[in-house]
Amino acid sequence: MKTLTIILADGPYISEYAQIAYKIADAALKRYHVNIFLYLDAVHMPREGQNPSFFANEGELFADLTERGAVIRACSRCAAARGYFANEDGSCKDYYDGPKISSLYDLPEMLSKSDKVICLCR
Amino acid sequence: MRSAFYLLDSAPYGSEKAFGIINAAAVSLGRMEVTLGLYGDGAYLALANQNSKGLGVPNLADILYVYGELRVLAHEFSVVKRGLFEEELIEMVELADEGDFLEAIEDSDCLILL
Repeated sequence: MKTLTIILADGPYISEYAQIAYKIADAALKRYHVNIFLYLDAVHMPREGQNPSFFANEGELFADLTERGAVIRACSRCAAARGYFANEDGSCKDYYDGPKISSLYDLPEMLSKSDKVICLCR
Repeated sequence: MRSAFYLLDSAPYGSEKAFGIINAAAVSLGRMEVTLGLYGDGAYLALANQNSKGLGVPNLADILYVYGELRVLAHEFSVVKRGLFEEELIEMVELADEGDFLEAIEDSDCLILL
């Protein structure tokens, strides 16, 4: 099975990139192993308790993807800078279940195993 | 993927993007061939003698020097347009004209823009 990696670096709701990433990943999961790497402000995306008025809840979208097999990792340095800290297994008490906080070294690991890479950033 | 081109088009220090892209490029070294391309306002990262003490953030050019094996290309036209051509640039930066810059992107397996 081929591998697709999507990189996001913007915060939730400032653009449609999270929803675009969800739609791409949703379709790709039928044929690809899907990784999503959350970098810089994108580490806010899996935060639990979001209540957007006009948009789909991006945290729920990402939790849904992980339930269906996508691997979602958030950069630990970026996460710590924004107040998110990982448990031993990489989960975070402030995140929906599924996405995990891990090292930035996961990014080249994902890239090196990918057949396609999509970077959605402003 | 065996190579990645990290493209920076934001000025250093105005946001976390330059710091972020340098870190991402640095951790990719050893796993793949990495090029950092400085385009548009990203060209300011190529300036020598940066002094970021007043901002309380690391000197990003100094961080580049730590990763000497990183290939850093500055888009020549972006450098010229910003009046930086006569300024001293850090030694590890290669100036690349439009064609060479594009070729470096095309030669890489993926393009990462933050």
